[in-house]
Amino acid sequence: MNIIVYAGMSYLITAVIAFAVIGVIVGISRFLSQPSE
Amino acid sequence: MLHQLLTIFPGIGTLFVQDPVIAFARIGFIVLGFVLAYLGFKRTLEPLIMVPMGLGMMAVNAGVMFLEAGKIGTLIIAPMVSEPNALIDIMQINFLQPVYNFTFVNSLVACLLFMGIGTMADISFILARPWASITVAVCAELGTFVTLVIGYYFGLTPGQAAAVGSIGGADGPMVLFASLIMAKDLFVPISIIAYLYLSLCYAGYPYLVRWLVPAKYRGLEVEIEFPEVSSQAKFVFTIVAAALLCLLLPVASPLILSFFMGVAIKEAEIEPYVQLLENTIVYGSTLFLGLVLGVLCEASTLLDPRVAILLVLGITALAVSALGGIGGGWLVWAVTKGKYNPATGIAGVSCMPSTAKIAQRCAFEASPYAMIMPLAMGASICGVIVSAIAVGVFASTIGLVG
Repeated sequence: MNIIVYAGMSYLITAVIAFAVIGVIVGISRFLSQPSE
Repeated sequence: MLHQLLTIFPGIGTLFVQDPVIAFARIGFIVLGFVLAYLGFKRTLEPLIMVPMGLGMMAVNAGVMFLEAGKIGTLIIAPMVSEPNALIDIMQINFLQPVYNFTFVNSLVACLLFMGIGTMADISFILARPWASITVAVCAELGTFVTLVIGYYFGLTPGQAAAVGSIGGADGPMVLFASLIMAKDLFVPISIIAYLYLSLCYAGYPYLVRWLVPAKYRGLEVEIEFPEVSSQAKFVFTIVAAALLCLLLPVASPLILSFFMGVAIKEAEIEPYVQLLENTIVYGSTLFLGLVLGVLCEASTLLDPRVAILLVLGITALAVSALGGIGGGWLVWAVTKGKYNPATGIAGVSCMPSTAKIAQRCAFEASPYAMIMPLAMGASICGVIVSAIAVGVFASTIGLVG
């Protein structure tokens, strides 16, 4: 694979995983912080 | 007479029998070691690293002697020995050899530092503005990927280019880990350059922030709301995030485990462990990291012509990451219609907590009411996570480059 394509692809994968991890953190914090009624 | 004198003082005598280039380089590194230690003492550079590193650099280049079979070396360290029998022998002679082999080459020292960093990372800071923090952190990783491409075209292998690119993540233990996994032959110069530049960043980044963010925007006051999150929730998402990342990036699992273990211990409020990691482990690891990096600065190791390329690439990585981080700060400012201080962007360059302090200091200079530290810490912690992910992605996929 060309290095420029690889750099773009790996940056994209990094960004997707990073946003997914934050999504999990935000999701769990909202889920566990909901007041039980 | 002269011969006997040089035998009595082998540190000086070896200067006359070695290749003149090596001999002059040894003298140069003794002077450089003094300068680094002194700048550490003056607090111009990070003293925790630079004082032991400078002293180590001086000692390893001064304390050269004649060993058995006419060899020339020191009684400090021999990094190139790998044959098992020779390694067992040398461990009983060189005093830092066990530290090097049992904590450096397997990345243990990087992982221990990451446990300490984890205990200093309060996840609540991320939750104040999670999406803004991660956006800034992703932008601040730009230098890593730009340097990967430049390094490759400078003639480095993909693994070496990726390892030197990881300097753009501005995280010392991460650079150590990346270079040990992807560029073992260059890990000494890459790690030294990384720590040297990271010390210099603290002095250089404020100028960059002042240049790229006018005072009007640096002094922007922002509202910070911490959502009420129980410690149970914080503990649960810490360990879930760790498991998720280990699942996705097994190569980086030692670092991920170490960082999130530190965070989990802090959230679980296990005070004896927190004290152990924050004080004993972090400072003990930093001392030996600085010392071992210093004694690895033998003239013969650093005369590799690739070191000049690494010097250029290291500064490029950190500069581009800073530009990316500040660009990310402006991006979030634009998307939120001015409800984010763009100076916070520099904190996305993960050198925690140094870059967060720089962001806050630049904001305070413009307005005494501009409190952005919690957001800057959030961006900085996200920066650590993004750097770990980037190194994991490289280590898993760098073989794809043909």
